[in-house]
Amino acid sequence: MKESHLAYFYSGDDGLSDVKMTIVSKKGKERIREFIMIRLDIEEGGNQKYYTYFKKPSDVSRITFMVHKTSEGNDQRWIYIPSIDLIKPISADDKNSSFVGSDFSYEDVSGRHWTEDTHSLKGEETLDGKAVYVIESVPKKKYKGFSRKVSYIDKESMLPLKEEYFNKKDKLVKEFSADKIEVIDGIPTITVRTMNNIKKGGHTTVSFNKISYNVGIKEDIFTERYLKNPPRKYIKK
Amino acid sequence: MKKIIYLTAIFLFIIVPQINAELYTDGYVQGLFGGQLNKDNPTKSDQSVSETRLQMRMESVGDQGEFVSRIDFVYDGLAEEQKQYDWEIREAYLKFRLGSKLDFKVGRQILTWGTGDLIFINDVFAKDYRSFFLGRDDQYLKAPQNAVRMEYYNSLGSFSFVFSPTFESNRLPTGEKLSYYHPSYGIVATGMGEEFYFNADEPEKTFKNSEFAARFQRQVGMYSLAFYFYKGFYKNPIGLEVATNGLMPVYPRMEIHGASIRGAKFGGIFWLEGGYYNSKDDPDGDNPLMPNSSVSGMVGFERQVATGFTVNLQWQADKMFDYNYFVAEQESMGATHYRDEIKHLVTSRWTKMMSDETVTVSAFIFYSPDEKDFYFRFSTEYKYSDEIKLTIGANVFDGKYANTEFGSLDLNDNIYTKMTYNF
Repeated sequence: MKESHLAYFYSGDDGLSDVKMTIVSKKGKERIREFIMIRLDIEEGGNQKYYTYFKKPSDVSRITFMVHKTSEGNDQRWIYIPSIDLIKPISADDKNSSFVGSDFSYEDVSGRHWTEDTHSLKGEETLDGKAVYVIESVPKKKYKGFSRKVSYIDKESMLPLKEEYFNKKDKLVKEFSADKIEVIDGIPTITVRTMNNIKKGGHTTVSFNKISYNVGIKEDIFTERYLKNPPRKYIKK
Repeated sequence: MKKIIYLTAIFLFIIVPQINAELYTDGYVQGLFGGQLNKDNPTKSDQSVSETRLQMRMESVGDQGEFVSRIDFVYDGLAEEQKQYDWEIREAYLKFRLGSKLDFKVGRQILTWGTGDLIFINDVFAKDYRSFFLGRDDQYLKAPQNAVRMEYYNSLGSFSFVFSPTFESNRLPTGEKLSYYHPSYGIVATGMGEEFYFNADEPEKTFKNSEFAARFQRQVGMYSLAFYFYKGFYKNPIGLEVATNGLMPVYPRMEIHGASIRGAKFGGIFWLEGGYYNSKDDPDGDNPLMPNSSVSGMVGFERQVATGFTVNLQWQADKMFDYNYFVAEQESMGATHYRDEIKHLVTSRWTKMMSDETVTVSAFIFYSPDEKDFYFRFSTEYKYSDEIKLTIGANVFDGKYANTEFGSLDLNDNIYTKMTYNF
């Protein structure tokens, strides 16, 4: 599980990508979020820093967002609203809350640390012609996000191809699928992914464009200075 | 002063085009319509606001710097003939870096610092309370000012310096759309006659009357620590000067020394901020026409109490120095109500997001137990699509006395509806 977590959330030492999020409601109405995401791993499998610059829609454009993620789970988040020149720390207690109104939670975007769950191998199968491990994860501490998660992990890339989230009544509530995997800079990467919200209806598809790894991102980008002044070296519209 | 303008002009017209820049534009169109809830409000119209606004944003990003501008064009249906069309440059600044440690932002800009949620102690950058009370978007609470901001970063932290060559006052109710309190006549507005159009004497536009603000900020573990300084004027015309036709409201000189700390604690965010207001025109507190010095402190805490539901609570205490002089002055004028030595303000914000964050219900209350007044803000926002947003809201003021902060706005209760199209 650790290996899969590292393959999925810690690809390379840093990452830079153009992200397009399509949020589809139960009634089929579409909303689009476009942003640039910069990630830096401070230590492999440990602390990480994320920087997000919103491009679309225009009512959130130029807003920047920063997360300092620690493996102990006490993350820090900040948002900068340029129209009022305001930096605001955000209470990061509820990691299960939606990321920008999508079906992905904060934790789905940046990853839940593997040490927070107990993992067991349930078997080996073939999914869409690929050999996978079937792994069940149960939170050690009671968790709102799921009470049980079943992951189908590709033996070759160690990436999750499918994840099923069950609630406390053991009903399937959310389903994750890796829709497209590409090899970028020698690293297998899920470039299109979908979270299907079975309980509520609707789904969110995220596609990653222009991904690059190991671009030499410096840690000072993840400070208030750059929150106010986006690093133009990486951020073009 | 002229030199600076010439240099800026040279910079803008000669250097900027050289920068290999990319240009982006977007903006919105918005209709805002509001009605007064109180028939007795002495304003001219029973509508609180009726306007259509176009905001154009332009951003030009180059390798050496960036230029940002936001310009508002407004049609005001309540204004007199010839004055219905208005426009304002909300932002027009140039941002660039010198070396690796110095950041500059030069031009008309919105400035914010401090920790409070709608309580400002060390942030005395210009505010627009008229917009705030009428239901315009939150961003309009901040009024723009012409300034040069320099930020220097080193291992100790960040040093910010803001220099505003001309004084920019807060925008307060003038009697036009919102009534205000007049010490001799009570609550008044222009509906009672042109003489009730509020007018204060702004400081002359001289170098001596410029504003200067500074901040030092440092991250210490999970906490952000800051120290502040300001030299300029009270942003509200709370002083009086003897003029030929009676007493004229003026903006007294003052200085602020303050500090704040903010960080994550108890599963949420907490903040603590304080400031000492040194009233330069009344150092001993014995001038009845000028405000006394004071010290103000606040503590706040915010946390998410359920998914998509955030609540915060703030408490502010403001102590006036040389209070005995103030009491004597008030008694001699026969005042029926005047503030306590320590004035308290409690606020709370409740925000609930629903339906994939397309619906936001928000309430904010200011309440002062000793001034016996409150201000309640409510709004519901529905994002129909990425482009279209519908909002309804209300502003309600009440107070036992007409001369308190919110009691003086008592008759301005209003409801509004707003439709925004983002492009």
